[in-house]
Amino acid sequence: MKRRIMLAIPILIIYLIPLSAYGATDQCYTCHSALEDKESKLFAEDIHFKKGISCSGCHGGDNTTEDNDAAMNKEKGFIGVPKGNKITEVCARCHASEKMMKSFGSKLPVNQFDNLINSVHGKTSTAGGGRIVQCTTCHTAHGIKSVKDPLSPVYATNIPKTCSKCHADANYMRTYNPTLAVDQYTQYLTSVHGKLNSTGDPKPAQCASCHGSHDIKPVKDIKSKVYPVNLPYTCSGCHSNKEYMAQYKIPTDQFEKYARSVHGQALLVKNDPGAPACNSCHGNHGAAPPGIESISKVCGTCHALNEELFSASPHKAAFDRKGYPECETCHGNHEIITATNKLLGVDKDGVCIRCHGDQNSSGYKSAYIMRKLIDSLDETKQSAMILINEAEQKGMEITEAKFKLRDINQVKLEARTQVHTFDPAKFKDIVGKGLVISRDATADAKVAIHEYYFRRVGLGVSVFLISLLAFGLFLYLRRIEKK
Amino acid sequence: MSENLQSRRSFITSILTLGAAGLSASIIYPIIKYLTPPKQREVEVTNVSAGKLNDMENDSYKIVRFGNKPVILIKTDKGDLKALSAQCTHLDCTVQYKKSEGVIWCACHNGKYDLNGRNISGPPPRPLDPYLVKIKGDEIFISKKV
Amino acid sequence: MKKYFAQTYKWIDERLDLTSLGHFIEKKYVPIHAHSIWYYFGGVSLFFFLIQVLTGILLLFYYKGSADLAFESIQFIMSKVQFGWLIRSIHAWAANLFILSVFIHMFSVFFEKSYRKPRELTWVTGVFLFFMTLAFGFSGYLLPWNKLAFFATKVGTDIAGNIPIIGDVMKGFLRGGDDVTGATLSRFFGFHVALFPGIFTILLVIHIIMVQRQGMSEPLDIESSPNAEKKSMPFFPNFMLRDLLLWLIVLNVLAILAVFFPADLGEKADPFSSAPAGIKPEWYFLFMFQTLKYIPAKIFIMDGELLGIVLFGLAGLLWVLVPFWDTQSSKGLRNRKINYIGLFAVAFIIVLTILGWIS
Repeated sequence: MKRRIMLAIPILIIYLIPLSAYGATDQCYTCHSALEDKESKLFAEDIHFKKGISCSGCHGGDNTTEDNDAAMNKEKGFIGVPKGNKITEVCARCHASEKMMKSFGSKLPVNQFDNLINSVHGKTSTAGGGRIVQCTTCHTAHGIKSVKDPLSPVYATNIPKTCSKCHADANYMRTYNPTLAVDQYTQYLTSVHGKLNSTGDPKPAQCASCHGSHDIKPVKDIKSKVYPVNLPYTCSGCHSNKEYMAQYKIPTDQFEKYARSVHGQALLVKNDPGAPACNSCHGNHGAAPPGIESISKVCGTCHALNEELFSASPHKAAFDRKGYPECETCHGNHEIITATNKLLGVDKDGVCIRCHGDQNSSGYKSAYIMRKLIDSLDETKQSAMILINEAEQKGMEITEAKFKLRDINQVKLEARTQVHTFDPAKFKDIVGKGLVISRDATADAKVAIHEYYFRRVGLGVSVFLISLLAFGLFLYLRRIEKK
Repeated sequence: MSENLQSRRSFITSILTLGAAGLSASIIYPIIKYLTPPKQREVEVTNVSAGKLNDMENDSYKIVRFGNKPVILIKTDKGDLKALSAQCTHLDCTVQYKKSEGVIWCACHNGKYDLNGRNISGPPPRPLDPYLVKIKGDEIFISKKV
Repeated sequence: MKKYFAQTYKWIDERLDLTSLGHFIEKKYVPIHAHSIWYYFGGVSLFFFLIQVLTGILLLFYYKGSADLAFESIQFIMSKVQFGWLIRSIHAWAANLFILSVFIHMFSVFFEKSYRKPRELTWVTGVFLFFMTLAFGFSGYLLPWNKLAFFATKVGTDIAGNIPIIGDVMKGFLRGGDDVTGATLSRFFGFHVALFPGIFTILLVIHIIMVQRQGMSEPLDIESSPNAEKKSMPFFPNFMLRDLLLWLIVLNVLAILAVFFPADLGEKADPFSSAPAGIKPEWYFLFMFQTLKYIPAKIFIMDGELLGIVLFGLAGLLWVLVPFWDTQSSKGLRNRKINYIGLFAVAFIIVLTILGWIS
């Protein structure tokens, strides 16, 4: 009980000081508003003013006296206009203290200060003497509004503009990172997010949605929300939220599907930062679904040969004419799984039959032949592998054949790429190469296995000769013991 | 009688001689074979011959077997020799030298490496491991970097 | 031809007195009786030892005793070196048969009570040779550095660590550290190819010299029967040729086993992987391992495993000292108790080995 009272006293005092200062006795505001200076005008709209905080709350000094010298006496804690890191420290006096924030009835988090100094913006500025970004850089000084206030520079629809003040300024940005692009804002305006944002919709992603606000890290920092491995989770924060996305009428299962895809597995499970994340196909600042005719180009940034072959094939023109989304037509989009032989061909799992249903059409025949070819390559490879394993288990030397297995794999990859020519003749050439190699490997393995069984012949000869010697000894013994 | 004994004796002697010869052969042959240096001299392959220097044109490459792994040997347009692991660090495809761009290229996912093996574009997460190239007479040798 | 042989013989004889050695061999006779067959097992054990020395030296040419390369070098021997598979398979099979034949040799001597006066010391050296073969088996088993061997060694050295007073020191000494690592492998390699063969050879020479000095022991009832009824055959050439005949048969069996059931290699040891389920030692340690499993964790205030180890230690000690507490046999009296003890030991070993095998 006693402790509670003890705690309550300072809280009460903190409460009472501003309350008593409010209006009637806040001499700073009284004089400065009489002077009609810019600061006091702005401050009238400031959330801090509305909460009863006096000028002296930040600038120090005595707000109860009319005497200029007494009010702005350094001995009474007057600090004038804070400069550099002092600015943020002044804000942090309250904003980093849970107790203080509570006393004003605020539920704002109190880790902004820590977040800021650890963020990329918390580094020392080129001018020296302070951090790159202080609280006031984004929140302004005397007219600070609540984040929820549409007039605040950090309100969702104002953020892009606010960030671009520096980030679109090539001269300024060059002083920090000469290689960093400065066109993010321009790009953003072309994105689906940016377009909606500029209509005044605060929900679509803006800078802070993906990069964070106080805790912004460089993209290469593994803690960054836009580090490749973290990015899908960041995007899915909104895109997987049914309720949030409801009004935009787009699906919300992209993340789920992506996580199952070969790309998602590589990125999220194997943690391969080279694997494509959402932005690899959709862009980041200019995020939008790729246009139907550019899909192969987008996929082609990694799958270069496939794109080249596809674009040169008759399918490109046909797909464009029909409005089929190129690669996506056969492979899907978010849920791209590793392509298997099944995809190729005219049975019910095959994708070719979807268009080439007529058994007499050349498309049907080509698909049928190509599937047969790749299947036969798989079969010969499989049988070669079984034999090689058997030979290896038997302790035979077959590194040569094992090395050939690698080549078969290589051919298989090549063949699967060549599928995109949709030309059975070219396909057959490649597969033929693989068939020859796997036949060689099979032959090697068979020789090795034969050699293993041949050991038994050698054993037979030796055992016979040794037994003969034993028999001779036996006869000899009998002879000498007869005597 | 004595003649019979005589032939019996020589029969036993011949069996014993043949058997003893067989026994010695059965023991000595495997041992001699065992002691003959095997094709691969040591447990770990540390050195591999990659052919004659003059057989390789400038600005060309070849894939050389190094134990169980492929190594890409490149002779640059200036005649320098470079040897790097030929296994793409992305998904283990075998890489090739792309003359037109002067880079090492992986056809599977468009991964590119410079001639020092550094991954410069595409999905490869790591550089290619370098191997040492040594020239003895006019023969090229590739060895593991220690 | 014969002339040259005679000359060479004369040359050596003049210097080394081969003739007296010849006289000695000529006078050496081997008794013939119902139990003569047991005489052969000493010779067979010797043959296995010779095979182990030969194949062991050959393996040393390619084996590398380090954790990085041990497994790979055996793989290399098995697949890249010509007949490497044969040499290793024979070494592995001969090791097992060696231990089996030593077991048989030892128990036959025990049941015949051949350890009685004046052969007490022959017995003692023999039992030590037996312990050495087990040590050979234990140390050699680790050398391929595969998963099974790794964990078997871990368990084995753990048990050694439970020996009272000296246990911890011994475990550390065996492992070359706190855990089974590459250091253990180096150590075991040293034991297996240098230390043990040295000790074994010295003991073996003493053992064989004693056997030669004392001649073949006869079973009690035959010893006491009148000389006229005794049968015997000359050691040279009759018994020696028989020995040789048996060696050839053994060699054939070995070759067949090595070709049809080559030694496998398994997976490389990984100190960080978890132990495979049902890890068991080699068959010759199985009876001890199984017994320790059956002993409850606590007996009164004593630790069960500790008690087991102490009991096995005592049993081993008593086994070494048999000739000294079996005073009756030395006086030429029948001692049935010894037979019962022996039968119990054999039954115990067989039953627990089977139990361990099927569990």
